[in-house]
Amino acid sequence: MSELRPIFNALMRGKTGALLLIMQVAVTLAIVSNAAFIINDRLTYLHQETGLQDQNLFRFNLYTFGKQVDIRQQQEVDETLLRNIPGVADAVVINQVPLSGSGDSTSFNLKPSPQQSQSERAAFFMADEHLLNTLGVKLEEGRNFTAADVVYSQYYDKNAAVALVTRQFIDGLFPAGDGLGQTMYLGDIPLKIIGIVAPMKGPWLKDEKPDNVVLIPQVEGVAFKRVLVRTEAGRRDEVMQQVASVLLASESERVVSNIKGVDELLATYNSQDKLMSNMLLVLICVLLLVTALGISGLALFNVGRRTRQIGTRRALGAKKSDILRYFLLENSLVSISGMILGSILALAMSDVLMRHYSLPRLDNWFILYSLCGIYLMGMLAVYWPALRAAQIAPSIATRNV
Amino acid sequence: MLNMTNISKVYRSEMVQTHALRDFNLQVNEGEFIAVTGPSGSGKTTFLNIAGMLETYTGGTYELDGINVGKLTDNGRAELRNQKIGFIFQGFNLIPDLNLYENVEVPLRYRGIKTAERKRRIERCLEQVGLGARAKHVPAQLSGGQQQRVAIARALAGEPRFLLADEPTGNLDSLMARQVMELLESINKDGATIIMVTHDPELARRAQRNIQVVDGQICDFKLYQGGAEQQRATAGA
Repeated sequence: MSELRPIFNALMRGKTGALLLIMQVAVTLAIVSNAAFIINDRLTYLHQETGLQDQNLFRFNLYTFGKQVDIRQQQEVDETLLRNIPGVADAVVINQVPLSGSGDSTSFNLKPSPQQSQSERAAFFMADEHLLNTLGVKLEEGRNFTAADVVYSQYYDKNAAVALVTRQFIDGLFPAGDGLGQTMYLGDIPLKIIGIVAPMKGPWLKDEKPDNVVLIPQVEGVAFKRVLVRTEAGRRDEVMQQVASVLLASESERVVSNIKGVDELLATYNSQDKLMSNMLLVLICVLLLVTALGISGLALFNVGRRTRQIGTRRALGAKKSDILRYFLLENSLVSISGMILGSILALAMSDVLMRHYSLPRLDNWFILYSLCGIYLMGMLAVYWPALRAAQIAPSIATRNV
Repeated sequence: MLNMTNISKVYRSEMVQTHALRDFNLQVNEGEFIAVTGPSGSGKTTFLNIAGMLETYTGGTYELDGINVGKLTDNGRAELRNQKIGFIFQGFNLIPDLNLYENVEVPLRYRGIKTAERKRRIERCLEQVGLGARAKHVPAQLSGGQQQRVAIARALAGEPRFLLADEPTGNLDSLMARQVMELLESINKDGATIIMVTHDPELARRAQRNIQVVDGQICDFKLYQGGAEQQRATAGA
């Protein structure tokens, strides 16, 4: 360690270059650690388990404009037609599509409004008794809907009386774990929880509670419908091509549009996050490259400036390894100083990001990882100039350069 | 103590071969003060570089304190240089970013000497050259003569058996040159062997032996003993 003192003193006497590099290392560490943390956060979000068979699910819109068409009767015909297409596992008319990035959520309470009680927000899917099978989600406890549970309503003039919920939701509303069989309220409408389903996501992965989902056996008789279809594995494209012709053959006064796979919807929904992650990755690479070039450049400049000094040190007994170590230690001092400053800067930057962009607090491990990465990069960047310095002949000391 | 036999040094480029030294024979005994003179390009500095193991030689044999230098690795030469040789350069070669104490400390660190012993030697050597009170100054705050005295302190701190001086007064005015020369003479009286390259015949006359190098060979040497001059005309005799 005593070797560090003269190196430190020498750095302090010619400090402009070193200070600039310390600042560069500090800023790089602050940005890289925060950017890496954000990328990791986005990747965790992008790769989370949906609980759904995204690649076998697709949705489309169905708008009936024919005034003579009985919407409810036609819906039953349509569902039957769809379920009979070869390759279809099940299909339902549904109020919103999972993983699409668009939909509704509401609060479910322990007591009917306007009474105050514990509440839990959840996305809610409304469809007939085929809903669970169409989603491809397993029932873990209780029972599934039956046809008798399904309520056909017009502008919510009637309401279902039962619901299926996810484990995350019921644990939130009934922390004691006794929710199954209990009644919750949607406004003042009672809903008895008759079953708990396996984990699945609602329409938004970015939601604070994306696993809070409630399934309600209710169908609204409206002209504009969303339809969700699950196919057997590998047969989705084939089914998607047939859907419009099968439905229009039954009733032509309507439009079938936006036939899209759920995985495509998810990809579109996630595209901004992927773009941001990629841009941050490019930023990290560019920053690291610029910093590495800065370190390497300053070291090369120092080697050039100190050629006579290095020759003199060699003449006074320094081995090549001593010269190599000198430059590596000098760079270590600059890097470590920059890292100490950079760690503080990283936490300050995280604070600003938290306050203004609702990002989670920077995990200290990311500072540590970035620290190790930047230190290693600095050592690699300085190694070649240091090696060049070590090759300087001791006879330089006696030459009039 | 220092024994060179038929030493040659050839610098090769794509087009030209330059014989900087050829059949160079020299024996130096313990405690001698030798001046090496000769015109520019005669091979004086090449001889000094080879004697100080700053350069390798092309042919011949060089033994320092019984060690065959030709058989040493780069690390081996660095160690031997550090232990046995002190250098004094024409341009002083102090490290401008280090203060005087740290400058003198440089060779001692490479030898791995402990902090307390380093401190003792540095303080003693700086006192010896009259700069003990200025240990915290940086070289730029000193005159040329003072800088050369620091360089001498640095050379002495390792307690070397040889001092190799490359025109140590070349960059100094006559008054400072005389002071530095007196310092070297006093060091020699204390037992150090000194080989000094110089252009100045006045300084050369103050050495015990003057070797004249021309075209890479010793062409003449003179012995000075108490003002009486003996001249021999045979190279390497």
